[in-house]
Amino acid sequence: MTSSPNVSQPNRKVMIRLENLTKRFPGQKQNAVDNLTLDIYEGEIVVLVGPSGCGKTTTMKTINRIIEPTSGRIILDGEDVTTANPDTLRRRIGYVIQQVGLFPHQTIGENIATVPKLLGWDSKRVTARVDELLDMVNMSPADYRDRYPKQLSGGQRQRVGVARALGADPDVMLMDEPFGAIDPITRDRLQNEFLRLQSEVRKTIVFVTHDIDEAIKMGDRIVILQEASRIAQYDTPERILTAPANQFVADFIGKGASLKRLNLSRVSDIELSSWPTVRVGADSAQVLDQLRSSGRDSVLVLDDAGRPRRWVGAGDLQSSPSGALEEIGVPVEGMVEPTATLSDALNELIAARNSVTIVVDPAGVYRGVVDINQINETIRAMRSTSAAQNAADLAERSTAGSASERP
Amino acid sequence: MTTHARDQDVVVQTPPRVRRRSLAGYMVMPVILALVCLALYLYVGSRELDSIEARSLNAASLAKATWEHIQLTAVSTLLTLIVAVPLGILLTRPLTRRIRPYILTVLTLGQAVPTIAVLVLLAVAFLFLGFQAAVVGLVLYAIIPVLLNTMVGLEQVDESVLEAGRGMGISKFGVLRRLELPLSVPIILAGVRTALVINVGTATLTTYINAGGLGDIIVAGLSTNRVLIQLVGAALTAVLALLIDYLAGIAEDFLRPKGL
Repeated sequence: MTSSPNVSQPNRKVMIRLENLTKRFPGQKQNAVDNLTLDIYEGEIVVLVGPSGCGKTTTMKTINRIIEPTSGRIILDGEDVTTANPDTLRRRIGYVIQQVGLFPHQTIGENIATVPKLLGWDSKRVTARVDELLDMVNMSPADYRDRYPKQLSGGQRQRVGVARALGADPDVMLMDEPFGAIDPITRDRLQNEFLRLQSEVRKTIVFVTHDIDEAIKMGDRIVILQEASRIAQYDTPERILTAPANQFVADFIGKGASLKRLNLSRVSDIELSSWPTVRVGADSAQVLDQLRSSGRDSVLVLDDAGRPRRWVGAGDLQSSPSGALEEIGVPVEGMVEPTATLSDALNELIAARNSVTIVVDPAGVYRGVVDINQINETIRAMRSTSAAQNAADLAERSTAGSASERP
Repeated sequence: MTTHARDQDVVVQTPPRVRRRSLAGYMVMPVILALVCLALYLYVGSRELDSIEARSLNAASLAKATWEHIQLTAVSTLLTLIVAVPLGILLTRPLTRRIRPYILTVLTLGQAVPTIAVLVLLAVAFLFLGFQAAVVGLVLYAIIPVLLNTMVGLEQVDESVLEAGRGMGISKFGVLRRLELPLSVPIILAGVRTALVINVGTATLTTYINAGGLGDIIVAGLSTNRVLIQLVGAALTAVLALLIDYLAGIAEDFLRPKGL
């Protein structure tokens, strides 16, 4: 998640290649998709994002040919499928839509079994697969297999929709705003569940959304599309946030790109600062010594296991010189673990005493602190790396003469 | 009916909707109809019948007329379905979009012509009489409700369900057979029920082209000015219509796909 991988990545397999893809709907003067060329690598979530009417959904639907392209080629796993039988093609591609589209007259189990049955699996294998998929999306097979869609909540229906799309274990999945019609809390939960699921199944996924935050969260790579499906930028979320390719991308990301960027880095990615610490058993001389040598106005008191307990300053020692260290000063709060994002760390930092966020390991043992300067430096470092990479890419592109990315 | 929990992820413990009436609910209509028949029987039995009345009001001729009436209704409704449902499917396919309005206009005009006129036309213009001619007239009149319900039924199926089906690689025919038709069954059946009721009523007119049915009894009563005969003929027609509507209602309850 942290480093910015090189975009060209020649060693990775291209799973979906769109070549000079064009779609013009009958009776329209302009192309809905205009000469789009795009490579999508195996095992990645590629998010197509852009303003409404930019052609992102049309582009996605040409991949399983729900919408037939006017010209151009679709290459799936090395095979030209532009003129293949659409029904057999679609059985190889999972398909999830915003309205879910569960079959209301079939049980959840029958819904999930749709593609396996089309492929002629025997009933034992189908039943086992249905139960496996229900487990995968955190729904108990015994409770849900024989229910009907109308007995489920919106979030549960979309889970079933995802399970159904995974039915015959396709290599590729197309998802059209799958979490768009779900309330924010459930959407967040489903997104997290889906990312966890994806870390297990490693599908190649084309994901359409109009929400840049969802794109940043879900995407290994993001394609920002302008009208007629022209690629404004095709890059990792990190680089889209730190080095937007042009004004359109910058406007589309909107304000707060740096804050969004902090969601993509973890506390473990940066070097922690240190802070003067003493053990609970220490005497006031040791505390004063630490304060003097560090130049800070308080020390962090750790318990015997090394867990942060209290902030103690010189003033606290004077007001109760005989008090044990665990009874004076103020208790610590707002600690984060190394897996937390920098955004979480910043959030704690704003409210924290001494303007630092304490970092502890999962057992609660003190590891270090994060201060505002480190966050600031991280953001600037990301910017300069991306800018340098962009310059390098531009140089490379001008020599290669690629026309796929236009300003 | 069930109430759905608001919370998105609370397990919604809803039993399948109770969609069939209770046994007692099912018994109400037949009991009422039986009582009407019994009352009619007792009333007729309490009267001294003259020879004209006795010729119409006996078990054999009443049974014959009723049976003819049922045959007329059943055959015409069956033929209506055979014509109207496939036509409805055809007219909802993208290929026929252009000719759809014309066909509907012609059929609606056809329905505006009263059945009696159709029957007379068949008889006078084509010398076409009897059972078969009666069935033609009834079918022409009953096609429209079944056709329109078939079309409405197919068109009200949620577009996202069909897109999901196509997107998973179900063939066009598979989508029609496995998704569109089952999901439009309730509305198509409502059309069939309407056609049945129309046919039971209209079949009384086929007596004029010598096709039999309960119309024979009513017309015999009218032409001989015997109110009792008219009453029996009309009451039996009404009982038959209600009975058939009741049976169609049961069929609707049981043929509706689960989960809807």
